[in-house]
Amino acid sequence: MTTVTDDKRATPPTGAAYWVRKNLFRSPLDGAITVVFGSLSIYLLFRAVMFVFVNARWEIIRVNLKLLLVGRWPSDELAVLAISFAVLGIWGGMVAGIIAGRQRQAGTSEAAKMTPSQRTSDLVRRFGLIIATILLLLLLTTGSGPWLAMLITLVGAVSGYWLGRMIGSRRLGSAGNWALTLVMLAIPVAIFFYMTSSVPLAEWEGFMFNLTSAAAGIALSFPIGVLLALARRSKLPLLKSTAIVYIEFVRGSPLFVLLLLANVSLEFFVPEALAPSKVVRAIVTFTVFSAAYIAEIVRGGLQSVPNGQSEAAKALGLSPYKQTSLIILPQALRAVIPAQIGQFIALFKDTTLAGVALGILDLLNGAGAITQQPDFRGQGLIIEALVFVAFLFWVGSFTMSRESQRLEKKLGVGIR
Amino acid sequence: MTDINSEVFADATAVQGDVMIELIGVDKFFGSFQALTDINLKIARQEVVVVIGPSGSGKSTMIRCINRLEEHDAGRIIVDGVELSEDVKNIQEIRRETGMVFQQFNLFPHLSVLDNVTLAPKQVRNMPKKEAEDLGMELLTRVKIPEQAKKYPGQLSGGQQQRVAIARSLAMTPKVMLFDEPTSALDPEMIGEVLDSMKDLAKEGMTMIVVTHEMGFAREVADRVVFMADGQIVEVGTPEHFFTNPQEERTKLFLSQIL
Repeated sequence: MTTVTDDKRATPPTGAAYWVRKNLFRSPLDGAITVVFGSLSIYLLFRAVMFVFVNARWEIIRVNLKLLLVGRWPSDELAVLAISFAVLGIWGGMVAGIIAGRQRQAGTSEAAKMTPSQRTSDLVRRFGLIIATILLLLLLTTGSGPWLAMLITLVGAVSGYWLGRMIGSRRLGSAGNWALTLVMLAIPVAIFFYMTSSVPLAEWEGFMFNLTSAAAGIALSFPIGVLLALARRSKLPLLKSTAIVYIEFVRGSPLFVLLLLANVSLEFFVPEALAPSKVVRAIVTFTVFSAAYIAEIVRGGLQSVPNGQSEAAKALGLSPYKQTSLIILPQALRAVIPAQIGQFIALFKDTTLAGVALGILDLLNGAGAITQQPDFRGQGLIIEALVFVAFLFWVGSFTMSRESQRLEKKLGVGIR
Repeated sequence: MTDINSEVFADATAVQGDVMIELIGVDKFFGSFQALTDINLKIARQEVVVVIGPSGSGKSTMIRCINRLEEHDAGRIIVDGVELSEDVKNIQEIRRETGMVFQQFNLFPHLSVLDNVTLAPKQVRNMPKKEAEDLGMELLTRVKIPEQAKKYPGQLSGGQQQRVAIARSLAMTPKVMLFDEPTSALDPEMIGEVLDSMKDLAKEGMTMIVVTHEMGFAREVADRVVFMADGQIVEVGTPEHFFTNPQEERTKLFLSQIL
């Protein structure tokens, strides 16, 4: 064996010039591709920047911001929104805090291992986009109310986080854990009822409709989808065939058609007075639709868990229910996180279909409506309106996708 | 109850003490393929029985029938006085008393090593968490890997994983341990550590049925060796009888191939 002497050991070349040569101009073809795509990108970027900062007339958004975000929510009930938002902030902070506290206690916390600067950049990466978006929206508002509400929400979220961490790092026993879970589940439900007592669900509009109907659809369709997936793998023929028929029927129809059906067909079955509002119909349809997809995704996950897992669970004497809930499902759900989040993102974006199919003034419909206002009619401002709509949906979807990657990495511990 | 074995295998099957496991005329089919044919076997309390035979001879199927991972089609299986039947309660009861160690370990990858071990005591026996964790640490110490308790199975070597699997089974304080080729998936240098754990267990008086290709283990630890071929028990005897003076042609052929 020859030894490598120090003078022979080449140091890897560094520097900007080297990077450019290696990555952009390695061969004539590379160079050509770089030049063509580079100039195309620069051109598109230039046009986009010109549009956003110079040509676009954002006045239409600024004037109609409230309509786009919360529809025709009564102006004198805006305090209800502010209070709800603040409580939701405290709740969100507490949930995050409890999880962080638990992880610290269990020694699985990633954050605890980070230096303060790593932690800051991690937080910026996670929440920077949302905070920047909220700031942008605040800049478009008039008056001090929204600023005040957001400030209270921010303070609430931070103090909620610390409170949650304090609770989360205590051992509560199983009764305490149950109570805590119940309280944490009850809070969003309570906020919901508080809000509907002020403005009925039927009148929820704007981006708020998209957000809440997506959240409700996700929260309801997930457990139903899991149960459907388990039913489809059941040995009981009736259960199994019911699940198959449901899944295949729903997956075989376009969501838009189901929404249109929900709009007209219910009158055949229930009297007009009892018929649910359009918003409820939309949420039910989203749930029905999404559950079928979740079921197929989860079924894929269930199939990916090796047979030996259920054999080992059986051999230990676990009951069939515990075999599924403690051993099989946790592994199955982990395996399909990306697909599940993908389905949630799709549902979030598909809420715009309800606006058109059911005639709800959601974000997209609102964006169309404002271009018909006397002040803005016939000026081609639909582009500004649609760009704004696309931007808000992108922020939501991108955040979900980011969090999904985080969750995947986090839960991947030990699976490698 | 008549002892069917006694005619066929003379005194080699004569069971001393009380019977822990009894298989009487057990048949098992996979579709039209008969995996087990008329299996008769009695195993005494504290006895260590090693089952050997060529692959596909039904060794694994036989022990998997004992805790109902496979359902036998004819005959009777009685574990510590409880007969396996369709009754789910019966099956659960037998599984609680019967530990099993698999060729592929089958540890739960989403749970830490300690959680793997404490899961069954907590969930099946309703043992308080603290008590279960003390028991878990004690068992991990017994298989000599207490320092791995907080890790996940994927971070352990094969030999360590298999020892966790043994600890996991022991946590239910079973009356019988079934080993289904516990060292076949291991790198050679890790076989010894697993066999050592099994030897300790045998010394402590555990009733064990071990399907294995480790003839050294059979010779050293087994009270009796069962040789199976084509879904039937061909010969049963003490290790001494078995390795020095096998009677059946099929046994002699098998031993000449592997020794």
